[in-house]
Amino acid sequence: MIIPYSPLPDFKSRSVLAPLIPVTFYNGKYEFSTFALVDSGATGGVISTVIANALHIKWEKIPVMYGFTVGGTLRSHRFNSLKANIYDHEFSLSMGIVEGTSPYKCILGQRDLFQRAKIIFEAYKNQFELVFREYN
Amino acid sequence: MKYPKINFVKLLKDYKDGWVAISSDFKSVVFHGKDLREVMKKTKSSKEKIYYFPAGQSYSNFVG
Repeated sequence: MIIPYSPLPDFKSRSVLAPLIPVTFYNGKYEFSTFALVDSGATGGVISTVIANALHIKWEKIPVMYGFTVGGTLRSHRFNSLKANIYDHEFSLSMGIVEGTSPYKCILGQRDLFQRAKIIFEAYKNQFELVFREYN
Repeated sequence: MKYPKINFVKLLKDYKDGWVAISSDFKSVVFHGKDLREVMKKTKSSKEKIYYFPAGQSYSNFVG
């Protein structure tokens, strides 16, 4: 499937393009739908604490882990029992719950979406291709 | 198959902060609130699938 980059607001140039996809997360009976940034540079996916709260995840009780961003370190709480549905493909995933994420509150990376699909970025066409792996 | 573009510039035109609830066809904002909890409270009775997104003024210069 071909997915156009999404235009987002920007101060200077009025818009910036980013690879975003709709995703629905499930934590037991609770679900939450949002848009995730597809980030090939992210080791693993993250959601913000506000999304974790919406999914009724008691993230405060999960031990803190420290990770790195290009600008410094981040505090994360690893949650291993989440399910995601993207374009009718459902899979389990482990996500880091991060305090104070901005501007994106949900990012998918190498340990989750990139394990499930071949992803080809074509920024020169303002689009990316997502091909989910077939499982027998 | 090529999916339609989701245009957040249009969707967030009138919203500079808080969170928005976006319709399942990704064409309109159905609710806005100062935070996610407020928006989810407003959408509680909605039978339509709702997508939630933070409304910001700038998404550029993100390096992750």
